[in-house]
Amino acid sequence: MRDSTLKLSVGYAFLVAISALFLIPLVWMVRSALMDLSQIFVMPPIWIPHPFKWDNFTRALTTLPFDKFFVNTAVIVVLGVVGTVVSSTIAAFGFSRIQWKGRNLVFGILLSSMMLPGAVTLIPTFLGWKSLGFYDTYVPLVLPAYFGGGIFNVFLLRQFYMTIPRDFDEAAVVDGAGFFQIYYRIILPLSRSAVIVVSLFTFLGAWNDFFGPLIYLKSSEKFTLALGLQMFQGSYTSQWDLLMAASAAVVLPCVVVFLIGQKYFLEGITLTGLKG
Amino acid sequence: MTTDILSTPAPARGKSIRSRERKALLYGLLFTLPATLGFILFTAGPMIASFILSLTDYNVFKSRTNFIGFDHYAVLLSGKDELFTKSLGVTFYYVVLKVPVTILISFAIALLLNMNVKGRSIFRTIIYLPNIVPAVATSIIWMWLLNPDLGLVNTALSWLHLPTGQWLYAEGSVIPSVVITTLWGIGGTVVIFLAGLSGIPDQYYEAIEVDGGGWRHKLLHITIPMISPTLFFNTVMTLIGSFQVFSEAYILTQGGPNNASLFYLFYLWRTAFRDTEMGYASALAWIMFAIILVFTLLVFRTAKSWVYYEGDERS
Amino acid sequence: MKRSSKAFAFILIFLLTAAIALPACSSKSENPASSDGAGASSPEASQTSGSDELASNDPVTLRLTLWGSPGEVQTYQKAIDRFHQKYPNITVKLEHIPTDYDTKLTTMVAGNQEPDVAMMESGSIAFPLAEEGKFLNLQQFVDSDSELSADRLIPNISYYSEPGNLIGIAPGPETFSLYYNVDMFKDAGVTPPSAKAAEAWTWDQFVEAAKKLTIDENGKNASDPDFNPKKIKQFGVNGANGWWGPWSNFIFSNGGDFLSADGKTFGLNQPEAVEALQKVADLVNVHHVAPSPVQSKNVPGTNVALQTKKVAMVIDGQWANFDLSNTNVNYDVAPLPVMKTPITTVVCGMFSVFKSTKHPQEAWGLVKALLDPEGTLELNQKGLWMPALKSWYEDPSLIEKWTANSKGRTPGYQDAVIDMMLGYSHQTPTGYVKNFNKIMDIVNPALDKVWLGQQTAQQAMDAIAEKAQAQVKGRRDVK
Repeated sequence: MRDSTLKLSVGYAFLVAISALFLIPLVWMVRSALMDLSQIFVMPPIWIPHPFKWDNFTRALTTLPFDKFFVNTAVIVVLGVVGTVVSSTIAAFGFSRIQWKGRNLVFGILLSSMMLPGAVTLIPTFLGWKSLGFYDTYVPLVLPAYFGGGIFNVFLLRQFYMTIPRDFDEAAVVDGAGFFQIYYRIILPLSRSAVIVVSLFTFLGAWNDFFGPLIYLKSSEKFTLALGLQMFQGSYTSQWDLLMAASAAVVLPCVVVFLIGQKYFLEGITLTGLKG
Repeated sequence: MTTDILSTPAPARGKSIRSRERKALLYGLLFTLPATLGFILFTAGPMIASFILSLTDYNVFKSRTNFIGFDHYAVLLSGKDELFTKSLGVTFYYVVLKVPVTILISFAIALLLNMNVKGRSIFRTIIYLPNIVPAVATSIIWMWLLNPDLGLVNTALSWLHLPTGQWLYAEGSVIPSVVITTLWGIGGTVVIFLAGLSGIPDQYYEAIEVDGGGWRHKLLHITIPMISPTLFFNTVMTLIGSFQVFSEAYILTQGGPNNASLFYLFYLWRTAFRDTEMGYASALAWIMFAIILVFTLLVFRTAKSWVYYEGDERS
Repeated sequence: MKRSSKAFAFILIFLLTAAIALPACSSKSENPASSDGAGASSPEASQTSGSDELASNDPVTLRLTLWGSPGEVQTYQKAIDRFHQKYPNITVKLEHIPTDYDTKLTTMVAGNQEPDVAMMESGSIAFPLAEEGKFLNLQQFVDSDSELSADRLIPNISYYSEPGNLIGIAPGPETFSLYYNVDMFKDAGVTPPSAKAAEAWTWDQFVEAAKKLTIDENGKNASDPDFNPKKIKQFGVNGANGWWGPWSNFIFSNGGDFLSADGKTFGLNQPEAVEALQKVADLVNVHHVAPSPVQSKNVPGTNVALQTKKVAMVIDGQWANFDLSNTNVNYDVAPLPVMKTPITTVVCGMFSVFKSTKHPQEAWGLVKALLDPEGTLELNQKGLWMPALKSWYEDPSLIEKWTANSKGRTPGYQDAVIDMMLGYSHQTPTGYVKNFNKIMDIVNPALDKVWLGQQTAQQAMDAIAEKAQAQVKGRRDVK
């Protein structure tokens, strides 16, 4: 990409402006996490806490067993990401690189599951898991990842697989490769950036999901970080200072994972760039 | 989506094609088996159950459930339920604004972030950040920013001698305002565009440069066609998601003022879990299903004319 | 090939649906139809007697669901621990549902996983559950219990789904009062209101004071002819419009109600109610002493609003004491201004016992333990809750227990909060208006226009009266 200097600097200015806008929520959260409760909602907003209340973090993180929540969340997230990446990349291959009768119909039916509001399938789904004896376990939160990994991810990967030129497959077929080799040796490496996006989204989705754990868990020692954050809401008042401190601490790993994950996009460019 | 040359009968090479076809079917089913099985095991049952429940007066707390046929649908389609028609209108208005705005802005931001500038990994992360800040926090900030009297937005507008607005607090402007507030959440769409952009080989752009083409040529002849599968994906997903808008909007407005932001899903949840009329709520859900299905099919139909797959069998 | 695979898929889907849906249906029918929940005395419940029978050796496990902040849950846990010490054979498992309580409880009920005892809210699914006979009638326990009889409870904290069927008792009732910044009154030269109900402000006195306490950016107050209502720096009062909780006080004070006494007629379009609603709206649109609902969104919580002198008076619930006492502000509390009679609406959650419990006697024992102010004393001391038992309002030594040495007990607290609760309370409309939510789905959007000054209360209520009337299903306190 050879962009002119003028274009670059105009673009750069835009980027800085937009980034400033998109930073507001994080800044607000972090400064609230360091504030006295009485300062958080003052109008016009105070942006710099006075004094800095660092002990909000220790208070927030010791009020609830966040260490336990962290371990629970890590288990669910790791199992979920592994399952999703394996099963959604395989399924997407079947929906894009192999021509078979009824392919689009099956894909359409799977996609339709996103169109029915979850409110009305919640109870039947819950009853299904319960009748299998999986209430108050992580199974309902993790197992579906191994069966397709969500149609959103399959659809996303399918779109990327379909952009890879056929020549690659045909060359591989000449070399005697089967479908699985094509999937593993050619398509998977070439769609690396999409696979990273899927892993990132799955990680962040599972990390921040409180509704699934709320419905399928009952013992608080099995709770997750996201569900733990919900606990700061009181019946009449909410402890915003603690909520924001705990949120900031919980969100931090997401920021790190995202920073690392998106770096691989850049590598993705050179990779496909060279081969394409 | 594409005409499958393999499926058109070719009597001359009949046998080998049939065996290739069979092999493809076998492997196609095999590769998609986990996903299909997952659908059958975890999703199909509850979906069918909810459809059956929509034909009953099911209430979770009632010990008796009566089959009432299509009565719920008849009530809904007759227009007697004013909140249903109101919420449907509100939701359509939202979708019409939300889909194009999201796609255009996130595509523009993705193009900016795809420039080869210093610190772009930081910028990319920043764009995504609002997605991981708790929704209650972002909602509170928006209520500040859009406050008619003291909010930053109106203050800035009046400073520039531009007309100010009532934003979230007037019936006429609440939906556009909600659309604005959702823009902090476009990071996901931007990231998907970025992944798509990263797959476009540099050589293509270089070829245009050799021919003396400018950025507009690059955008129209390389970027947009090459990104069209991603664009298609984002459009479909934004469409499906916008019809089901719920939580962020609910925190901001609780459906007000005067039901002007009573989104369909909010009405549905209220019916299902506050009024415990699960049978009626199921009928509401299946009407929404039908609406989304029709619109998604429409987008899929048009896709043939504008989505370009390099891996297409035709090429 | 194509057809057979389709057929196969159909059969599979059908079987799986059946497998998932059937247990739901069959488990439903396991519960013998008991739709006549009202007044029905279940066989277990009729064995009621003194609570000492709880002390047996058979191990019993009770499940309790509730919501609340970590501090609240810890206090409950302490109360539960005390209960367990007293009855070592009873183990209570606390299941904290931090959010989406109704959704979670509904799925639990659907899966026959409901707890023995649950914290419930009268405005949500408590009555729908009660109407399907899901709760034990606590009346029999109250009638025969040697420790907790009905006359020991303060008024308006017992919830009846219909006369005779007691479905829940509130642990921490709350009143509404007028909280104000003492310093701002001094600065404006306004005499603060008396804390005694008999000497409470009339509505006009209240409006007069509010005018003097509303100041524009030039320092002129709202009674000044040069006052600029577009640039108000400090408001006289906040909190009256919006949620029905605060404004319901004035409806009742003016002799109005949500429904007529026989429960047959929609009441908010009647003269008393309309007058009260109009007066509340006039605070914003005529007198300019209160922020509009739009502006109120900008006003922070009561404690910060008073501390930062954005607002001089706030109409709020007793729970405000919790935040106020943790804020550096010189505040006090008075009864709400009176339209015709001094009154305060009581709002509160409740504890209910599911009929499916195998241990009704023990579950009742747990409810009593949770109602005992001694057990949840911390919440009372913190200013978050008020006690459920009358003696804690009357006996000076008991009053001292939850008010002395605890924060948030201003000079007015005894008269304006404690005595108001005991002598001038009115039940929350969610407790006696059937189909309350559906009625309010119609009323609230119409009131939006009243608060914004686009319509008069009379116009707005008349316009929806017919629609609201169609949702009227009667009163719970009338047979």
